[in-house]
Amino acid sequence: MTLELVSLEWMHPGLLLILGAWVLPLLKGRAKSAAMVLLPAAALAICVRLSLAPDTYGVSLLGHKLPFVFRVDKLSLIFSYVFSIMAVLGMIYSLHVKDDAQHVSALTYAGGALGVTFAGDFLSLYVFWELMAMSSVLLIWLRRDPAAVAAGFRYLLVHVFGGLVLLAGIVLHCSAKGSFEFESLGAFPAEDDWSVILPWCLILAAVMLNAAVPPLGAWLPDAYPEATVTGAVFMTAFTTKSAVYVLIRGFAVPGGTELIVWLGAAMAIYGVVFAVLENDARRLLAYHIISQVGYMVCAVGIGSDLAVNGASAHAFAHILYKALLFMGAGAVLQVTGLRKLNEMGGLYKTMPITLGLYMIGAFAISAVPLFSGFVSKSMIVAAAGEDKRQWIFLMLTLASAGTFLHTGLKLPYYMFFGKDSGARGHEPPRNMLVAMGLAAAACVLIGVFPGVLYDQLPRAVDYHPYSVGHVTASLGMLGFTALGFFLLLKQLDPEPKISLDTDWFYRKGSSAVVSVIRGPLVRLESGWVGEIYELVIRWPVLGVARLLRRLDTGIVDYAVMSVGRLTQAFSRILKTTVSGNVQHYGLLMAAGVLVLLALATIAL
Amino acid sequence: MKFLERQLEDPVRVARIKRWFYIGLAVVAVAEIGLPLIVHGDHHFSFEGWPAFGSLYGLASCVAIIVVSKLLGKVWLMRREDYYDS
Repeated sequence: MTLELVSLEWMHPGLLLILGAWVLPLLKGRAKSAAMVLLPAAALAICVRLSLAPDTYGVSLLGHKLPFVFRVDKLSLIFSYVFSIMAVLGMIYSLHVKDDAQHVSALTYAGGALGVTFAGDFLSLYVFWELMAMSSVLLIWLRRDPAAVAAGFRYLLVHVFGGLVLLAGIVLHCSAKGSFEFESLGAFPAEDDWSVILPWCLILAAVMLNAAVPPLGAWLPDAYPEATVTGAVFMTAFTTKSAVYVLIRGFAVPGGTELIVWLGAAMAIYGVVFAVLENDARRLLAYHIISQVGYMVCAVGIGSDLAVNGASAHAFAHILYKALLFMGAGAVLQVTGLRKLNEMGGLYKTMPITLGLYMIGAFAISAVPLFSGFVSKSMIVAAAGEDKRQWIFLMLTLASAGTFLHTGLKLPYYMFFGKDSGARGHEPPRNMLVAMGLAAAACVLIGVFPGVLYDQLPRAVDYHPYSVGHVTASLGMLGFTALGFFLLLKQLDPEPKISLDTDWFYRKGSSAVVSVIRGPLVRLESGWVGEIYELVIRWPVLGVARLLRRLDTGIVDYAVMSVGRLTQAFSRILKTTVSGNVQHYGLLMAAGVLVLLALATIAL
Repeated sequence: MKFLERQLEDPVRVARIKRWFYIGLAVVAVAEIGLPLIVHGDHHFSFEGWPAFGSLYGLASCVAIIVVSKLLGKVWLMRREDYYDS
């Protein structure tokens, strides 16, 4: 079947946001606010309607067939739902912002994510992938702060590099396969053929870069805390989770891929370790995105039906609670201007609603029973158990304790309680609270009625999170993590420090490399290059110039001066004939006439 | 909205909250040991069946994460805030 791009019955939900965003600058007041919320809501409605006819569609523009494929299946649908819901929540959260550029970038970014989700071919996948990178960097730059501009450039540098790697992988893959179709790339190629292995590795590396898998993930905690208060909320959702979607689609295979399993589990712990050291509230939360995406990456590696369902469910739940957490930290940043934990404290007195809503997000990410993380994260841990991977099981459980430790205890303790810093905020604007409230409601709804989410999952699996053993073990783990927190509270005091991560290589390492090579380079330049220049350029050029000058003085000048001298001599002769006597002139005229007559006679 | 302030600025009430916290922990630990004897759950691994495994593993994880991360930070990772500016 073919879908027409320009038609009244249907619209690509991604294009709706990307094109519709440009209407916002033309509107004012209530109409603008309404459009901001209605656009993503309409995209959500289209996604829901698409679920009635899941299929792989061709795409045409005004009757001409385009080389794109639009794929609607359960996997693309669940991601499209959460991306559109997130766009609605994000736009409500930014209703008070009087900066059209931010709204346009945010909607374009969300549209790009929807485009990736429905892309059935590598061409449109790549286009939407790059569009996401370009629109999201604006959300960093639009904070209009020198630090944000610099961070934005680093973000762009990394993503342009990732985009090129992806493009290289796609070109190699498609030329080997002879089609642009985006289907599963399978497990690591068994045959020893580089034309198959290389594209597999390149595409995996590019997608892992966007999923922030270490060591390719340092761009995330570097960039997200520098984004605008509202922009960061969008950023938490789309880039990493659309990468998770592509990972599931391309790399989740029944037998599993060992490399991805271990990278994911290591990633879950890596995020937690860096969160201990972190002092910037939003950067701490950014490290926990890495940790949580680690669960999803690990699940992709395991590749069983339960694992794929777990990755999808966790991505869904994660987008909502992470957005809620970033909204909370953003609200504090907005009203107090504070971003460092060692400068906060005591805000619970003036921002109790923000605190309460934040805590719902914190309970959800910590997988407290009756909150969304409990029903999604446990699927992945259970998938590791079912696969008899005890070390992965233990690593993921450890990271889970770390998540509660930081997001559920450390951050709220130092932000809202702790030593009173004297900072006095107030509750943020009402639209921000409404967005947080809706996100919080979703976290609780999914936690209490997991069936709502489970019905949408891509694979058919019978899984029940609320078993007695699971609930008591989780409560025990959370409770005693809290005990450990209070026992070691002194150790956890945030320090005004920053931590080295792999972004060191392009922030500091590059300048170190430059200073190391500068010595030999200078010697090379003044020695060899200088000599060669002298020999090859300067000498011949000067020689030719000297020759030309000699030519100029010898011939051209001589000719000109000779003509001048001749004229001078002739005029001196002429001068003697000018005597002033009429008889002389008459004589000369007569002589002239005689000469003419003589000439005429000779001629005749 | 003065509820939280009333609770947290009165030492007597803070002590009471602490007491309830410890009672809660004890109840959870006892439940974790006791309930599997009544309701048999399905474990993936034998260690999940150890008494109060979740609680003990939670405490151990928490301590391990704090100690190891802080150690890594002190000897290697942590730098002054203007590290990248200079």
